[in-house]
Amino acid sequence: MGKGGQSQGNVAQCEENMAAWLLGVNNLKIQPFKLPSLGPNDVRVAIKAVGICGSDVHYLKSMSCGDYYVKEPMVIGHECAGIVEEVGSEVKSLAPGSRVALEPGIACWRCKPCKGGRYNLCDEMKFFATPPIHGSLANQIVHPADLCFKLPEGMSLEEGAMCEPLSVGVYACQRANASPKTSVLIMGAGPIGLVTMLAARAFGVSKIVVADVDEVRLKIAKDLGATAVIKSSQKIEDVGKELELIKEALGGAEADVTFDCVGFGKTMTTALKATSRGGKVCLVGMGHSDMTVPLTPAAGREVDIVGIFRYKNTWPLCIDFITSGKIDVKPLITHRFGFSQKEIEEAFATSARGGSAIKVMFNL
Amino acid sequence: MELGEEENKAAWLLGVKTLKIQPYHLPPLGAHDVKVRMKAVGICGSDVHHFKHMRCGNFIVKKPMVIGHECAGTVEEVGSEVKSLQVGNRVALEPGISCSQCHLCKDGRYNLCREMKFFGSPPTNGALANLVVHPANLCFKLPDNVSLEEGAMCEPLSVGIHACRRAKISPQTKVLIMGAGPIGLVTMLAARVFGAPKIIIADIDDSRLSFAKDLGADEIIQVSTNIQDVGEEVVKIQNAMGANVDVSFDCVGFDKTMSTALNATGAGGKVCLVGMGRSEMTIPLTPAAAREVDVIGIFRYRNTWPLCIEFLKSRKIDVKPLITHRFKFTEEQVEEAFETSAQGGNAIKVMFSL
Repeated sequence: MGKGGQSQGNVAQCEENMAAWLLGVNNLKIQPFKLPSLGPNDVRVAIKAVGICGSDVHYLKSMSCGDYYVKEPMVIGHECAGIVEEVGSEVKSLAPGSRVALEPGIACWRCKPCKGGRYNLCDEMKFFATPPIHGSLANQIVHPADLCFKLPEGMSLEEGAMCEPLSVGVYACQRANASPKTSVLIMGAGPIGLVTMLAARAFGVSKIVVADVDEVRLKIAKDLGATAVIKSSQKIEDVGKELELIKEALGGAEADVTFDCVGFGKTMTTALKATSRGGKVCLVGMGHSDMTVPLTPAAGREVDIVGIFRYKNTWPLCIDFITSGKIDVKPLITHRFGFSQKEIEEAFATSARGGSAIKVMFNL
Repeated sequence: MELGEEENKAAWLLGVKTLKIQPYHLPPLGAHDVKVRMKAVGICGSDVHHFKHMRCGNFIVKKPMVIGHECAGTVEEVGSEVKSLQVGNRVALEPGISCSQCHLCKDGRYNLCREMKFFGSPPTNGALANLVVHPANLCFKLPDNVSLEEGAMCEPLSVGIHACRRAKISPQTKVLIMGAGPIGLVTMLAARVFGAPKIIIADIDDSRLSFAKDLGADEIIQVSTNIQDVGEEVVKIQNAMGANVDVSFDCVGFDKTMSTALNATGAGGKVCLVGMGRSEMTIPLTPAAAREVDVIGIFRYRNTWPLCIEFLKSRKIDVKPLITHRFKFTEEQVEEAFETSAQGGNAIKVMFSL
C-alpha cells in the first residue's frame, strides 16, 4: 500500500487509508476508508489536492443536494488530482508516478445517453460524493484509468484539481456556443461564475460583463479580466435598473449569451431580459427549483434556455487551456488546508461562508 | 380615387371589437412588388386578440389598422423588375417584410428582424382586403392541385414547421404536444411529416382531442387546468409514450402546460414554447435544466413556404380538415367570423372567401 497522508492527526503512522466521511449534518470525520480491489482497467491514486465544491458544502449542511440524499456514511469530495501508485493489469496509458487529474463520474456505457455521447446524463452514473458513491477526499482512491488525465510538467496538482470546476465553465461555454462573436453576461461571481468567465475568455469572447450582489467578488472578477462588473441587488424591482447598467456596460447592446451561475427567479429574469433576440441563456446555477420568470417574451424572441449537468469530455481541453496559459486558475484558490480533523472542519466552514473564499483546497 | 377604378375595401380594426369594411387605399406598386387579389384569408388567434383588446403582447393598435395575415390570392399586376410571377398566378403570401440590412436578416434569422413589417401587426396593415401590394419574393406560386384556402393555411402551418425545425424533429424524436388547438394541430401535422415516430397530444377539451385523434395523434390525453395534477399527468404521459418524451411542444403557454412539458420530457430533450398564454410563468426550470432539457423559443417562422407548399402538393400534409368554418367578406359576416373564431371549441380555422 502507499504512504499515508501528510497530517495524520492522532492516527498512528500506519498504512491505513483514511478519508473524510460525512456521518451526519455538520458531521465530518476522518476515518479509515477501505478501498475496493484494483480492477484490470483501474489505477490506485494517492490523492494530493482536493477542492471543495458548493455541492459538498450542501451535503455537509443538509445531507442532501437536489434529489440526492445521503442515507449512510459517505466519503466527501470530488474535485481532485494525485499521483498514480499502482495500475491494473490492462492499463497502458498510465504508470506509477503519473501525475493525474481525475474526472469524478463513472458512466455505464450501456444506456442510451452514454451511447449517444451524452454520458454526463447516464442513467447509472457513479459520481464521487454523490450518494451512495464515495468521494475522493482521502489518502488514496481507486478509479478507472480512462478517467485519470495525465498532467503535463509545469501543471500543478492543484491546477489538476481545478479542472473539475473549470470543466463546468468550459462545458457551459460549449453548450451555449460562446465564441468571438458572442458578448457574454454572467450572473454571479462565485467560483462557478468565475470559471465560466475564464472559459468564455479562452473561447475567444472579448466582452464579458459580470453581475453579483457582493462587491468583494466583483473586484475579484474585475481583477481576473471581466470587461465590466455590475453590482446587483436581490430585489426584483431592481431588474429594470440593472438591465440599463448591463446594456451600458455592453456598449448599448444586449448580451448574446448569458450564463446564470446563481439560479434564482431574479437572476434568470435579468438573464432572459438582458439577452438579445436569437441568443442563449445557460442556466448553470442551481439556486431555486421553481422559478417565476418572463419566459414567454424571451421565447418569443427566440432566446433559448440551455441547461447543463456537470460536463463531458472536458479534461483534455481544460489541461490544454491551463498549460497554454489561456486560463490561469491559480488565483481562484484562495484558501488552503491540510488533511486533519481540525482542518477539514475549518475548511468547510470557510468554503460555506463564501465572500472572499472562492476555492478552498486541501493539500494531502 | 380615380373614376371607374374599383374601390379597394378592407376589414379595418377601429377599436375594441369594432371591425368595419371600409376603403383601403393601396401604396404604389414598387418595381419588385406585385398586386394580389385576396381570395382566402384565415383568422389567427392573434387577430382575435387584436380584435378583443386592440393589442397583442407588445403590439398595440394605436390607429385604425387592416386586420388579417393568413392569406392567398391571384396576382393582378407585377412590378417592372418582377420575373418570378405573372398576372394570373395563384400565390400564398408570407406576411412579413424584413429589412435585409440588419445582422439578424443577414444571418438568415430574418423572422427576428427589429424592423419587421408584418401584416396585421400594428402599425402595418393586414391582408383581409380585396387587394394588397406585397413584395414578389414573399408570394409563393401554388401548384395546380393546391387550393387557395390551402395556400392561406401555409401561414399557420409554417408555425408548426418552424417549431419542428428548431426542435429538430426526426424519426428519432418521440413528441408530446400540449394543446390541440389550431397551433397544436399544425405542429402535429408537421411533426408527423418530419418523421416523429409517436405523437401524444394533451388538451383539456375532449372534443378537440378526438379531432386530434382523427387527424392522426397516436394517443390523446385529457388534462386539467389544476396545477396540482401535473405529477399525475406527467406519469400518464410517460406511460402512454412508453419511452422517453424527446421533444415537447407547449402550444398553450401557461404555467401548468410548461411545467408538465418540462417534467415529462426526458433528460437531454427539448421543450419548444410555441404558445403565448402567459408572459410570466412559475415553472420548475432548474430541475429541467439540470437534466439538460433545453427550452427553445419560436417567433413566427422563416423560409417555410416552399416546404409547406411541397408538403401540400405531395399530400404529405392535409390541412383541409382544419378549416371548420367559412365566411364571406361582408360587414355582417366579418364580425360573426371573428366571434366564431374567438369561441374556440370546435372552431379550428375560420376562413374568409373573397
